[in-house]
Amino acid sequence: MKPSPRLLTGSLAAVVALLVLSGCATNVNSVQRAQPVATPNYVSDKRVITDNTLARTVRVNSVNQTTVSGNLLKVQATLENLKNDARTIRYKFEWIDQDGMSIGSPNETWKVLTIMGRDTTTVSTVAVNPRAVDFTLKLSE
Amino acid sequence: MTTLRFKTVLLAGVLAPVALVFTGCESTQVRNVDSKGTQALNTSGINSQDWANAADQLVGSLLSSGALDRAPVQPSVLAVDRVLNNTQLNIDTDLLIKKIRVALTQTGKVVITNTMGLGERAVVASEAAELDEMATGKKQKIVAPHFTLYAKLIQQSDKINGVTQNTYTFQMSLINVKTGNTVWEDEREIAKQSKKSAVGW
Repeated sequence: MKPSPRLLTGSLAAVVALLVLSGCATNVNSVQRAQPVATPNYVSDKRVITDNTLARTVRVNSVNQTTVSGNLLKVQATLENLKNDARTIRYKFEWIDQDGMSIGSPNETWKVLTIMGRDTTTVSTVAVNPRAVDFTLKLSE
Repeated sequence: MTTLRFKTVLLAGVLAPVALVFTGCESTQVRNVDSKGTQALNTSGINSQDWANAADQLVGSLLSSGALDRAPVQPSVLAVDRVLNNTQLNIDTDLLIKKIRVALTQTGKVVITNTMGLGERAVVASEAAELDEMATGKKQKIVAPHFTLYAKLIQQSDKINGVTQNTYTFQMSLINVKTGNTVWEDEREIAKQSKKSAVGW
């Protein structure tokens, strides 16, 4: 019995779909406490989107802050990869003082970050200058 | 006649772009880029962004630990010990240490002593102290450091199927001088994969 062209096409499509899906298997499953004990100090943020593609790829879920070593601001952002495969982006924190002036830091640079598919991760930094009161988190592809 | 002219035009049309390509190879184009920006070259070694990244993470970890706040006086006095370079790279370790020194000094939490340790900074500081002692006739009181900072750079190279991975580890320890105990230590890794082109000359 000779297989019909339709059956062959269907089988081929199934194999291709299987290969594609197995190739994308970089997603991350995770487990965490149902009622978290931590009480983060969330920051109300303002967002400026100039790259819609990036915004559809990686989302900033939240930003929280704390103070370390007495008077140094520490900021942490939780980022989520909205895609099914691993994505690499760049990010940078910039600091601003009470008068709105930018504070240059010797280590203020673009950093590379890879997030697995559908995973969330945190990025954080400490302002080495005690005059820092505000920050800007920049993301780029 | 017409065919000959057509061939000449065709030949010129082919040769002109080739000539342009080859003459283009001879010119050198230079542009300024931000060493900390997105256009900085990514190499298999440690580039300017990697140094800044490692320094930022280590300083963040040190400040978050609160170890510097436990000194008997503020700001605490810090002496920077030598940095051991166990990588295959011929690098000036000040690329890391200077960034950490600048960042820590900006916090106002520490002052960094130069009257001890290795390098030209220590020599100049010691000579300046001696000169001052000679000029004033008074023995200068040198403040002993509360902490020493020690760092080490390690490289691990792995190669599979033509892909080379260089993993650079930046280790750092803060030691309490009075007790000799390590009061903080951390390490950061930067891994870089490179693949050699199949066609290359």
